[in-house]
Amino acid sequence: MLAVLPAAVIAGVARRLIRVSFLLTLPIAISVVLVSVFTRAGETVLFEIGPFDATAEGVDFAAQTLVRLFAISTSIGLFGMTTDPRAFVLDLERRGLSPRFAFVALATLEAVPAMVERAQVIASAQRARGLDTEGSVAARLRGVLPLAGPVVLSSLTEVEERSLALEVRAFGRPGRRRLLWRLPDSTPQLLLRALLLGLLILAIALRLTGAFPVLP
Amino acid sequence: MLELSLASYRYPGYAKTVLHDIELRLGDGEIVGLVGPNDAGKSTLCLVAAGLAPASIGGVLKGTLTLDGTPAGGLRTHELAERVVVGFQNPNTQRSGLAATVFEEIAVGPMNLGLEVPETVARTREAIARLRLEPLVERDPQRLSGGQAQLVAIASLLAMRPRHVILDEPTAQLDPEGTRLVGQALKALADDGTSLLIAEHKTDLLDGLCQRVVVIDGGTLVRDGPTTAVFEDPELEALGVEPPARIRLRRAAQAAGLDPRVLAGART
Amino acid sequence: MIEIEDLVHVYDGATRAVDGVSLRIRDGERVAIVGQNGSGKSTLVRHLNGLLRPTEGRVLLDGVDAATRRVAQLAATVGLAFQDPDRQIFAGTVKAEVEFGPRNAGLRDAALAEAVAAALQATGLEGDTATKPYDLGYSRRKLLALASVLAMRTPVVVLDEPTTGQDARGVRRVEAIVRELGDAGRTVVSISHDMRFVADGFERVIVMRQGTVILDGSPAEVFAREHWPDLASTYLEPPLAARTGAALGLGSTPTDRSLIDALAGQR
Repeated sequence: MLAVLPAAVIAGVARRLIRVSFLLTLPIAISVVLVSVFTRAGETVLFEIGPFDATAEGVDFAAQTLVRLFAISTSIGLFGMTTDPRAFVLDLERRGLSPRFAFVALATLEAVPAMVERAQVIASAQRARGLDTEGSVAARLRGVLPLAGPVVLSSLTEVEERSLALEVRAFGRPGRRRLLWRLPDSTPQLLLRALLLGLLILAIALRLTGAFPVLP
Repeated sequence: MLELSLASYRYPGYAKTVLHDIELRLGDGEIVGLVGPNDAGKSTLCLVAAGLAPASIGGVLKGTLTLDGTPAGGLRTHELAERVVVGFQNPNTQRSGLAATVFEEIAVGPMNLGLEVPETVARTREAIARLRLEPLVERDPQRLSGGQAQLVAIASLLAMRPRHVILDEPTAQLDPEGTRLVGQALKALADDGTSLLIAEHKTDLLDGLCQRVVVIDGGTLVRDGPTTAVFEDPELEALGVEPPARIRLRRAAQAAGLDPRVLAGART
Repeated sequence: MIEIEDLVHVYDGATRAVDGVSLRIRDGERVAIVGQNGSGKSTLVRHLNGLLRPTEGRVLLDGVDAATRRVAQLAATVGLAFQDPDRQIFAGTVKAEVEFGPRNAGLRDAALAEAVAAALQATGLEGDTATKPYDLGYSRRKLLALASVLAMRTPVVVLDEPTTGQDARGVRRVEAIVRELGDAGRTVVSISHDMRFVADGFERVIVMRQGTVILDGSPAEVFAREHWPDLASTYLEPPLAARTGAALGLGSTPTDRSLIDALAGQR
């Protein structure tokens, strides 16, 4: 957390990051809190709801878990928000990732905005035929098939043409490619990565030797 | 030379044959137009001539496709790609999604061929020059107009250095400006010695471009001859093809009892 | 009557797709809107059925501000047939697909059956009621999408590039449909890139460029020689008949028919 949040502020994504991470971890967080607070074995009972006792140890455990969850989601989120997926995947390919895998990863990323746009066009066309997307819940439920159907069907039809277009550009060829581009990688970045790796090893070692507090 | 001999094709899982005994020759440097009603088999013929049917999509091909003397039957799709390429109507589905600039997009094909970087760059530059795409090289491929995107798609195909280029309705989804851009580019290609097979509804476009036109109807080639002869065929409309405007006007004049040479004198 | 008053539509706070358009379209008029992609044609017509709301200005349908109605309500007045049939078709049979629109508009039983039958007849699909839509070829699927909008029996029918991708037979069919709609007194607004389709089938042509209307008149007016520089400025070319007629000094002859008549008249 200490490393992630300042980095997020520097990258200018702090507010978005916190909001997104919060929303993503909220469902898990709620169940963690409920389970831990009420079912952790502990001695200090804070209050009771029916047969369930809320213990201080439970609260303590829940708090630690929440912080960990938040730390994980913000670090993944920070990575996602500041890394250009294209550059990332292509750099992986340069370091040995199979070109096919690289392509699938990138195509999946591009597929989402394309699908969103497609869904919007389809929604417009169906609304123009009287499908009510602004009315009652029942009306909106009736709209599921006319909206989802063409999205799926037209996506499938497009997949075939896309894959043919790819084959024509030799995507099917086995073996490595000589990539045109190279991600710039400076010495300070290399040193920073080495440093972070070292810290990670240190943290694991400290944890193993019991020098760090461990969860009960 | 690209040669289809007694080619009949059936899509995988379908009993019906969609192409029947097609005989088609595309000589080096020839530009041939392919016209016919929708669902007559134009697109299927394009895929068969490019070898992708059956090599990529499966199905059953009877007869042979021969590319510059080599039977296409045993070739893998990337081996086919170096000899014959096919472009489609939708410029968006032909974009690889991997490139941040037009230059990189065009380079994707040669890169996939495993070529060394200098060779990739050379082929990319060549394709760009042929279609005069220099002003667009730094642009984001996702932010181009339809016509520009289609040109980039064609350039990406040219970068494979194929002997034969097949285009399936390249201007179908373009506005008039896009159609004009692509039409000009095709003329430039023509002067270069690449052989082209272009499927189109816009007979006016083909009129100024092709030396030969073939007409497909119900999976069979029903006409194959010099452009003017085919477009002046009185049965063309019955076959589901709209003749070019100049021929239509001439016919209308004749039908009204006027001398069509009056029209020929007009400088438009 | 459709009244568009000083319509402005801005996307993403920056792009002025429609930049001040004022138009009046009378009941029963057949209007074609032409222009390059990005000229604002699609944006403009989507205001007619409420899919887009004005940033500035108003759209009135028979005096009622379209902004006060939901899209589903406006769909009973203004039908809009989209360019890509595959972004619309979802039903298992042709009949079910065509029934979708009129059903939403509240038609039932005999009225519904009649509307559907008439639409299938007009598009040549009457023999295919039980066919699966994707078993039809592209041309006929496009006609199917059109049928599903025709069946809604709206007084105004908007067509977004009805002939794009169509073969010769399909274009003829669409031309016949436009004629029939006009004969029945329904208003037709069509976006098209096909200048011949436009000159032959429509009584009024509106040319758009960069969000504004640069020409508005009959085909003979719009395709007349004095307007060629305007058309050229947006890369549009008049039909061959118009260019030939002008070259022969016969005045403005936007259609084959008018050119031939002018030539015959000269004899």
